[in-house]
This record gives sequence, structure tokens and C-alpha cells, in this order.
Amino acid sequence: MKTTWDIIIIGGGPGGLFAALEAAKAGKSVLLCERKREMGIPVRCGEAVGKEDFANYLPMEPRWIGSEINTFIIVPPNGKEIKLKKDLYSGYVINRDLFEYDIAARAAEAGVQIKMKANVQELIHSDDGSVSGVRVMESGKMHEYYAKIVIAADGVESRISRQMGIQTVLKPENIEPCVQVTASGIHLPEKALYLYIGTCYAPGGYAWVFPKANNCANIGLGINGKYSSNTNCAKDYMDRFLDRFFPDASIQRYVTGGVPVTTNLKRLTQDNFMIVGDAGHMVNPLNGGGITHAIYSGIIAGKAAAASCDDPQKMKICFSKYEKEIYRKFGKNHEHQSKIKEVVYQMNDDDYNRIGGEFLKLDDSKRNFLNLFKQVVKHKPEFLINVVRAFSGI
Amino acid sequence: MIVPLDHCDHCGTCISVCPVDALMLTENSLIVDHELCTECLLCVNICPVAALESKK
Ligand SMILES: Cc1cc2nc3c(=O)[nH]c(=O)nc-3n(C[C@H](O)[C@H](O)[C@H](O)COP(=O)(O)OP(=O)(O)OC[C@H]3O[C@@H](n4cnc5c(N)ncnc54)[C@H](O)[C@@H]3O)c2cc1C
Ligand code: SF4
Ligand code: SF4
Repeated sequence: MKTTWDIIIIGGGPGGLFAALEAAKAGKSVLLCERKREMGIPVRCGEAVGKEDFANYLPMEPRWIGSEINTFIIVPPNGKEIKLKKDLYSGYVINRDLFEYDIAARAAEAGVQIKMKANVQELIHSDDGSVSGVRVMESGKMHEYYAKIVIAADGVESRISRQMGIQTVLKPENIEPCVQVTASGIHLPEKALYLYIGTCYAPGGYAWVFPKANNCANIGLGINGKYSSNTNCAKDYMDRFLDRFFPDASIQRYVTGGVPVTTNLKRLTQDNFMIVGDAGHMVNPLNGGGITHAIYSGIIAGKAAAASCDDPQKMKICFSKYEKEIYRKFGKNHEHQSKIKEVVYQMNDDDYNRIGGEFLKLDDSKRNFLNLFKQVVKHKPEFLINVVRAFSGI
Repeated sequence: MIVPLDHCDHCGTCISVCPVDALMLTENSLIVDHELCTECLLCVNICPVAALESKK
């Protein structure tokens, strides 16, 4: 049985899959271990991606498209929908199960060996502290696999990186516990991304309704971890939300999940070890989107690993470049978003209602992000100060 | 003692907040290392579906 590869990847979400695909395309031998029994399932995700953003990384395939969306609707606590001008946004709600299944097939085609029901329990270390492989539990048997580079793409739990001394534990205020259902028979007045913002729906977070084909929709909700408790958890908010807006929803998929909403990890490598995607907290902390961040970091990490796995000197340079590139691409922006998030979530339900009311007085053609921002500033001048602070770093 | 309940969805959210790395997912269950656990209750309160219980 084969026990050694150039590169081992832990986790088969978008981060791990793209890292594997890139490394194999560059001619390296790659093993990907995934704990789940089926690629892409369960879908712990709202599945929304921006059209342009996604196209930066790969062309969209028709079978991945759940729906195409060009409108945003924000619903404040009083329920009065605020429709933003058409074409401010253009995106998809994708079929992530099919997407991941297909990318796994492409990776396999490129030579990646994929193992399912393969739970990486721990790293194997060399005497110098670097990593030499992984211990994997597969159907009740422990196996040891070795590689020159190990990439952790283990998602929000980010447990593996801790074994390299990288601090990945999230404070409750830096994570959003979420519940999501995919429901059918959801007849929405408009095919739009609906965001419900207010403490009555989801304190420190928001609820979403993202329509897919055949009157199905992903209906989900995330609250800030500091408001979550055993007696009032995300599911309790979700139950109240469904009762208010979709009391008859017929549910065909029910998932839970956590989204890191903080700044990116600065340290994404250690010796011959790398981190990609959610495991490195690469999610946009304001909107919780992380699919394309995982894809991009996977691509860059896979390339860096392939280019340097045979040369320790080059590895240092390539890994440092990887960290710098991720900071350039997301890190700085996420620091700003994180500060804006704090301001947005300081507002109370009356603030949201009032801002929404004023915005609705505007002519349809003027309902864009800039005018929404102006209304926010009119009601909460401190918002502007905080945004300026966020971007200037004072 | 922290005990996972039957309706745990194996999402790993609790693992992300455990300061002492006392939680681990296996193929089909969440296991708690009671030697490491300090009973800080962070995991109990973060779980999206309240699937962890603190038992005397
Ligand atoms: C409810 C919810 C809604 C979301 N909605 C959106 C959205 O609409 N748009 C968007 O862009 N983003 C969204 N996100 C965020 C998005 O899902 C993540 O950013 C993205 O999945 C990150 O990809 P990843 O590859 O880093 O991690 P993941 O997709 O989480 O993949 C990690 C994989 O690693 C496996 N794994 C973990 N540990 C081990 C181990 N020890 N051994 C083997 N395998 C292991 C896991 O089983 C998992 O398959 C949402 C998240 C949640 C929870
Ligand atoms: S957060 Fe809750 S549902 Fe998710 S793995 Fe932990 S106990 Fe299970
Ligand atoms: S109670 Fe605290 S220490 Fe124990 S498993 Fe939960 S988070 Fe970890």
C-alpha cells in the first residue's frame, strides 16, 4: 500500500480540493483525506457567490448554478422590505454539492488520490518539530501516511493547525453559530438575495433567504457567538424566524455550522505546513462569505507547495510569499470589514427601522449602496467616523 | 462532565472555541476528552442547536 506522497491535504472542502488540484496539475503526487462519506455533502452553506468574484478563479458550469440573482432586498425588523436598485449585485446561488463533486473528479483526473471516511487524528512530527505525515483513522484502522508538505484545509474547526503551535481557537464573539434549512414551496415575490437585519432576527448577525431553482431556497441564520447560549441558541432564533415568515415551510435539508468572523490568521505556515480557507479564518467578517476565499487560498497554496516541496530553501520563500499574498488579497480588507461590522451591529432595531423608512422614501433609481450609506450616516453620524477610522486605521 | 447529545450535527463549531482542544470529531461522533476539559462551557453555549449538555 502506498504510504508516501509529495503533499498531503487534510479536508476536502473548496480549500482542500483546489489546493490538491493545483498541486497535482504541477506534477506532484497528492493525497487528500476527507472525514465525510460523500464529497460535497452535507452542504453547510448558503451557497451564494458573486459572479465576477467566482469568474476570477474558474468558469461557472451550468450544473453548478442553482439560480442567478441580480437583486438584493434588505428586511429591517419591521418587515418593510428595502429593495436595492437592480443590477447592483450579480451573483449565483450554486449547487455546492455538485460543484465539490465535480472539482473532486477533476482533481482525481489530475492524479490526486482521494480517501473518504479518512479522519486525520493527528500530525506526525519529525525531531525538528516539522511535520512528516498524518495519522488517519479509516474504518476503525489507524494508518500513517507521509509527505514533504502537509496542508490543513480542515475548515472552521481548525484543530490540526494547533498541533503546529498555531493559535486558531476562536473567541465566542469571533464566530457565528448558524442553522440553515433548504426548503421547498417557497414562493418569493422576487428572485433576490434577502437579508433580514435586526437583533429581533439574529443579534450580531443576520438571517438570509437565498432562492434556488423550483421554488426552493436556503433559509438560514447566524447570530454572534456572544449572544449564543444553551437556552437561546441559533436554532431558537431560527425557529422564531421560520414561524414568522415561513410557517408552512417544507424542509428537505437541515444543517448547522459555524462561520469565523474575524481577521485572517497572519501565520498561515510553519516549517513545511500550510493552512488554507476557513481553517485560516479567511471569511469576510461582514457578510460571512468564504467559498471563493477558500478557492483562492487553495490555488495559491497548492502552487506554492508544488513549486517548493523538493527544496527547503525555496519553501521558506514560497511560504512567505503565500502569507503575504493572502494578506494583500483578503487580510487588509477583512480588518476594515471587521471594524465596520462592529459599528453595524451596535445599532438597535429602531435605528434599522428608521434608516429603512428614510431609504424607502427615495426614488427607485436612487436606491443604491451609496444612498443607503448616506441614510445610515444621517441617523448615526458616528457611523461615518467609525468607517473613516476603520479605513484609515486611527 | 460535558456530554454530546443525540441531535449533534457534527459541524465542528464547538471545536473552534475549545481553548484546551478537548473536543474531536470522528467519522460519526463528537468525543470529549474529559481529562483535558476544564468545563468552561464555551462549547455548550456556542453550539447552534444546543447539542452539548453539562452533567453533574
Ligand atoms: C451556514 C453557513 C452558510 C454559509 N453561507 C455562505 C455563502 O452563502 N457564501 C459563501 O461564500 N460562504 C458561505 N459560508 C462559508 C463557507 O461555507 C466556507 O467559507 C467554506 O466552506 C470554506 O471552505 P474550506 O474548504 O475552507 O472549509 P470546509 O468547506 O469547511 O471544508 C473542510 C473539510 O475538512 C473536513 N475535515 C475537517 N477536519 C478533518 C480531519 N481531521 N480529517 C479529515 N477531514 C477533515 C471536513 O469534513 C470538511 O469537509 C457559509 C458557512 C456556513 C456555516
Ligand atoms: S457545535 Fe453542536 S452540533 Fe456542532 S459538532 Fe459541536 S455539539 Fe455537535
Ligand atoms: S467545556 Fe470548555 S474545555 Fe470542556 S470541551 Fe467545552 S470548550 Fe472545551
